[in-house]
Amino acid sequence: MNPERIYRRVAVFGGVYSNYLALEATLEDARQRDVEAIFCLGDMGAFGPHPDRVFPLLREAGVLAIQGNYDDSMAAGKEDCGCGYTDPRDNHFARLSYEYTFKNTSAENKAWLGTLPKQRRIRLGKHGVLMCHGSPRTVNEFLWESTTPNGLLARFMRDFHTDTILCTHTGIKWQRILPDGKQVVNVGAIGRPENDGMTNVWYTVLTSGDDLHVEFAPVHYDHETLAREMEMEGLPPEFIETIRAGWWTTCLEILPAKERARGKH
Amino acid sequence: MTTPTVPFRHLATLWIQVTGTWCNLQCAHCINSSGPTDPWLKSLDTRTVKRYIHEAEDLGVKEIYFTGGEPFLHKDILELLAFSLAVAPTTVLTNGTKVTEAVADSLADLARRSPYSLEIRVSVDDIDPDRNDRIRGKGALAKAVRAIRLLYARGLLPILTATEILQAEMPEGNGMYDRFRDFLLTQGIAKPRVKIIPVFPIGRMAQEGGGLLTEEMLRGYDFSLLQCTETRVVADAGVYCCPILAGLKEARLQERGLKESLTSCRLYHTACVTCYQTGMTCKNF
Repeated sequence: MNPERIYRRVAVFGGVYSNYLALEATLEDARQRDVEAIFCLGDMGAFGPHPDRVFPLLREAGVLAIQGNYDDSMAAGKEDCGCGYTDPRDNHFARLSYEYTFKNTSAENKAWLGTLPKQRRIRLGKHGVLMCHGSPRTVNEFLWESTTPNGLLARFMRDFHTDTILCTHTGIKWQRILPDGKQVVNVGAIGRPENDGMTNVWYTVLTSGDDLHVEFAPVHYDHETLAREMEMEGLPPEFIETIRAGWWTTCLEILPAKERARGKH
Repeated sequence: MTTPTVPFRHLATLWIQVTGTWCNLQCAHCINSSGPTDPWLKSLDTRTVKRYIHEAEDLGVKEIYFTGGEPFLHKDILELLAFSLAVAPTTVLTNGTKVTEAVADSLADLARRSPYSLEIRVSVDDIDPDRNDRIRGKGALAKAVRAIRLLYARGLLPILTATEILQAEMPEGNGMYDRFRDFLLTQGIAKPRVKIIPVFPIGRMAQEGGGLLTEEMLRGYDFSLLQCTETRVVADAGVYCCPILAGLKEARLQERGLKESLTSCRLYHTACVTCYQTGMTCKNF
């Protein structure tokens, strides 16, 4: 087994969702924070315009990515995104998004998505870190703050022999320190705002130390240009409203009660 | 013919059949023939429920569901929900008839105090009172809607849960889902949540049952689509493989221990075909 690379400070983001303008801004922000490496926890496509535009940015910046459910579906030519929705409204909008993204992503980029690992392990100083997309056990499992109990997280730590888990998939960031000091961080998503009425998106900077220091970093980007490009591409007005207003309008039936109560819709 | 079995993956959901088959309604399609008199499956006592919740926490359970019968007939239901919400996100499946203002206040208070989500699923079968009440009993729709409004007014976001029992009688239009969603909007529920589930050939609908699953049908099938790979139900006299079959002797995996029940189970019932065909889950999402 390869020894895990040891880092002092890293940037981690998830859910690019074809938002190449937010990706550019995130990479620039991360560079200014003196990080040694930048990681992406998957789902490059969905939702936004011109899906091929994110790939050169990821490669040129040397982003170390893992595969999300969307990436797996795109690479394998699956019929749907595998997001794990059960509600008809959620599935309707997920289908529109997937069809557009699949049609507008090059074969070369789909093949690249197929080469990404499912998970990564690194060390941040003395802390062992497991990076996954949904959960350590299932790529499309939703780990929302209000539906992820401590008992389950303790179980993950034991079963996957780690003391830090980083995940994404839900699109809303959160952090929890367990009673034994182990940590779980949902790093959020840079592809769409997190349903709080703000237009910015979020990623995470982790710094080693006695305790692992976690900082959620806001990223402001030219969301109006993105919205206009989405309009030009004929993407659903509901998607564009989210970019402009910061409130989720689609794929929100999956939200648990607490998270749903905080949003506008 | 050999009965096919399905491997167990992990314990994601624990279902607690807290009132057994004791219910104040007697719905025409009830999967376990619940009703007000002589329930064939007894309620669980408070100590037993707490023991199972503790055990489930150690096993890494992700969600806990209370069902019955009607869970709000249990004398300690609010205490049990509070206990459960300290461990994991918790859902109650109810007909709504017992959700008074005081109960709604208590539930809102429980939801506020817990870091985890409390979900209330309120059962309805149609938005037309005559059709709904023909299935669920006189006045059932009005009481369910009242419960939804009381809960929503307190910041809870109830999930209207309907079976497809009346699907054939629904007027032309956008389908059941949108019919319920639009109805909730007209009731002032700005964040309408709807879950539709199929009718199972079991309980009072047992006569609808057809064939059984075979090993041939399951060749190449993605077992993770079946909820019995990640759920267990505790009810009177033991631990059972899924919420649909809870209480049935053939579905019982253990008399007592939850941990010991995390084994493969047999897809022996005609109701298993419904799950196989629809990929449905009794979970909220």
